[in-house]
Amino acid sequence: MSGPAKAPGGEQAVIDVERLVAMANQIGDFFAPYPRGQREEGVRNHLRNYWDPRMREALLAYVAASGGTGLHAHVLDGLRLLATPGVERKAYAGPPQ
Amino acid sequence: MPIPRKPERSVVTTCAYCGVGCGFRAETIGGRVVRMVPWKEGKANHGHGCVKGRFAFDYYDHPDRVKVPMIRGSIEEPWREVGWDEAIAHAATELKRIQGTYGRGSVGAVSSSRCTNEEIFLMQKFARVGLRNNNIDNCSRICHSPTQFGLQATLGAGAASQHFDSILQADVILVVGANPTEGHPVFGSMLKRRVREGAKLLVIDPRRTETVESAHCLADVHLALRPGTNVLVLDSLAHVIVTERLHDESFIRERCHWNEFEQWAALVGHARYSPDVVGPEAGLDPEHIRRAARLYAAGPRSTIYYGLGVTEHSQGSTGVMCLGNLALACGHLGREGVGVNPLRGQGNVQGGSCLGSWPHMLTGYRFVTDDAVRGSFERDWGIELDPEPGLRLPNMFDAALAGTFKAMYIQGEDPVQSDPNQNHVVAAMRSMECVILQDLFLTETAKFAHVFLPGSSALEKNGTFTNAERRVSMVRKVCEPLAGLEDWQITVRLMNAMGYPVHYDHPSQILDEIARLSPAYEGMSFELIERNGSVQWPCNRKDAPDGTEVLHTRSFPRGRANFMLTAYVPTQERTSDRYPLLLTTGRILSQYNVGTQTRRTGNLAWYAEDVLDIHEADARQRGIVDGDWVSIASRYGSTRLRARISERVSQGTVYTTFHFAQSKANAITSDLSDWATNCPEYKVTAVEVVRMQARQAADRAVAAEVSA
Amino acid sequence: MWSELRALRDEIDYGTPPRDGAPVTLTIDGVAVTVPAGSSVMLAAAEARRAVPKLCATDMLEAFGSCRVCLVEIEGRRGYPASCTTPVEPGMAVRTRSDRLQALRAGVMELYLSDFPAADIPGGWSELHEVIQATGVAQHPYGRGENHLDAPVDESNPYFLFDPAKCIVCSRCVRACEEVQGTFALTIEGRGFASKVAASQGQPFLDSECVSCGACVQACPTQSLVEKSLFVGGYRRADSP
Repeated sequence: MSGPAKAPGGEQAVIDVERLVAMANQIGDFFAPYPRGQREEGVRNHLRNYWDPRMREALLAYVAASGGTGLHAHVLDGLRLLATPGVERKAYAGPPQ
Repeated sequence: MPIPRKPERSVVTTCAYCGVGCGFRAETIGGRVVRMVPWKEGKANHGHGCVKGRFAFDYYDHPDRVKVPMIRGSIEEPWREVGWDEAIAHAATELKRIQGTYGRGSVGAVSSSRCTNEEIFLMQKFARVGLRNNNIDNCSRICHSPTQFGLQATLGAGAASQHFDSILQADVILVVGANPTEGHPVFGSMLKRRVREGAKLLVIDPRRTETVESAHCLADVHLALRPGTNVLVLDSLAHVIVTERLHDESFIRERCHWNEFEQWAALVGHARYSPDVVGPEAGLDPEHIRRAARLYAAGPRSTIYYGLGVTEHSQGSTGVMCLGNLALACGHLGREGVGVNPLRGQGNVQGGSCLGSWPHMLTGYRFVTDDAVRGSFERDWGIELDPEPGLRLPNMFDAALAGTFKAMYIQGEDPVQSDPNQNHVVAAMRSMECVILQDLFLTETAKFAHVFLPGSSALEKNGTFTNAERRVSMVRKVCEPLAGLEDWQITVRLMNAMGYPVHYDHPSQILDEIARLSPAYEGMSFELIERNGSVQWPCNRKDAPDGTEVLHTRSFPRGRANFMLTAYVPTQERTSDRYPLLLTTGRILSQYNVGTQTRRTGNLAWYAEDVLDIHEADARQRGIVDGDWVSIASRYGSTRLRARISERVSQGTVYTTFHFAQSKANAITSDLSDWATNCPEYKVTAVEVVRMQARQAADRAVAAEVSA
Repeated sequence: MWSELRALRDEIDYGTPPRDGAPVTLTIDGVAVTVPAGSSVMLAAAEARRAVPKLCATDMLEAFGSCRVCLVEIEGRRGYPASCTTPVEPGMAVRTRSDRLQALRAGVMELYLSDFPAADIPGGWSELHEVIQATGVAQHPYGRGENHLDAPVDESNPYFLFDPAKCIVCSRCVRACEEVQGTFALTIEGRGFASKVAASQGQPFLDSECVSCGACVQACPTQSLVEKSLFVGGYRRADSP
């Protein structure tokens, strides 16, 4: 395991980015069987309501710097939704809406 | 003296060991507890008990109890005894200093499932109003957090659907990844009783547990699956149900969304999940999968009980959803004798879940990010709350290693022994500047603490516990706190020292606050619990003034329930030539969890050390005989244990418990975790086991370590 | 079933498990009482506050009918049926106290006490002692015959001990192990006078299949099985040096 990692922006990431990428992909694996649209929304809703914002920011910074190497495509899409204004909605449990 | 002493006084209270939550009469002579007698009116136990709750109470006044607060500048220094005022002031000063230097989010808190509902609620309040962030977690993170997530996703409520007694009306009992006769003995006795009366028993567990086979109790089907294949096997059961059209269409149309069912049926109905494909992969006879599915579907009253064998996987939450899906598909919900029920490990772990001790949720499983929910707390507490989720326990350790998390207030938890990948946790603990530990004993975690606040056992305080069937029962003070303060009083003091003035005369006022802020507890009060003996949530004045025994009878919390798509994703933890065996961990009857309590009682007579259960063929291949010292190595670390040749494990699987610190079972477990909740994957670690050459040397080494 | 389990009360032992059948009314010593069908006469008597002395019966276990101290008289029936094994019937008239019943119970108690440590009779607080109180029989007319008073005490379990000298072989412990705990670790070994409580194959409790749940200890009416924590400085028999 690598030591304290820096986010590509040079600022220190709250958690090692490699670990965040692995965690995000695991989430992506769960939502993979859902149809396009729901899949990304599932990832977005989960990251938005279960993750500390610093973890989301670190991952978004990583995507901005590296293009998101190593992240599943629909996880990347879900992450982009996080940063898209107007997509915000009330937190929910259950299938992606 | 031939005539036993007659106890002078007795107080009815709730056992603090497992999640069954038995009622006991604690009897005293001269203020000292001399006997715990099962309470016949306890609705969880009906006058029964087990070796822990009934007898193993001596830990409470064990000489090892710490009775004076202590502080030290660094973990290399010896402890210095101080008064309560100094300890509290020091802790608060340190927390404020660290927040000033590293930011508001650099500190956090962990609540304990051995503490009362009121104390757990106060801990999360402490984090939110004292630390002004949401870095609060509870130990169900490492056990049943997937239950809350998975059942909330499917059924809408993250808790058991039934009351325990409901099992006495079940025709088919499906036990998955649980061993109730050892882990939840009093409930286990009820289960065995129902099996003796003729109910069918299906068990999914890699081990041939005591539940699978014991006197007058034999499982009709035992699916001894390979560790890590839960979701695959549960999806295969679903495959049989949908392809053989055993599902309950009218229930699904009435209570669920038909289109979601179809979507799910298409997934599990795929040939990928056919028993003929799944069987060889999971080490099972396909015919056994079919039989189990048919029996479960046929019922007519089929119920599911499950434990950490479902949750502690990288697909733990998915596994729980599989169980929700199965029950929905067959219509086995909303009446007596059916349902989906987690068996919870710690006395108040359900309370830990219910009372907002989460980085992302407030009481009653409501999101911190929900403005309306948060607003109700802000108005009541008169303070603005952080609108963003905080760090989870494992993320706190990750962040500590990354240098961004520096202080922790831990109440009654021992993460150094109980959490996975011990080397990682130890490194994280070492990197923190202030660890405040509130506990009964100097635990493994205490080695890394800077402030030690001596807590009180469940015999020394007032409050309530919520057991695994959502039953809120009274915990009553039997004797005065040995260190002078009940745990809630310590947290209140710390909250005041952090600059948030707060005062409670009695824990009943804290429960009133919980009721005021949480719809599921709305009707709950000490007075109601005193009157009824115990009350199951949801409890509200309008619809359920005396609480609710069976959930989902007319509708689900969200109206209809949801089928979730549960594709199987194998864990990244794989066996290899180097690590060819799968290690799975668990517990035994006489010891409890990390053993802090039970190791200090006569229960050592049954189990004085953790051992490694290994199949005869695996042992022979490695030249291991019963009683040999062996080293167990994984990709994460190694430890040594004594081997026991056992028929309870299948070839290729080894098993141990984590009750003793010196066995360091968690030095070998991985840091992989559940995708949704980060609940650690305790149940699957690829290992190799090697016989230790110099057995006597090992004996000596371990003896030296234990005495050190 | 579960609704019956919930009818158990801490402060009262009905003697046999509560039932949930249709209401049945009968009289106990002239007092009218209504209990669910399927209940025993013993339960009805407890309900009417005319409790019958008992030793082998307790409401967490099914009736067994072996101790012979719970005998009653029922109008229109011959003999003295055991109240624990006799189900209630509508209109039944039961008598729990009479000179004849007292004489029968006294005879039974004297036999029990003839094989019970005499020194342990005064000052005790077990259920047996309650029956001694209730029947007024605290001694027996027999000489020292064959007995179990020297049978060794099993102290292997860290939490409770078994002193066979105080055992009346009522099998409540055996039945508790089966019915309540479901472990089937205890049994009655031998027959007649030689019968005794044994764990597994006559092993010490600790080495047996016993899981130390304590159900047997709770069920024991004589404190033959008893918590060690109730003794200061260990257990010693009254007659031991």
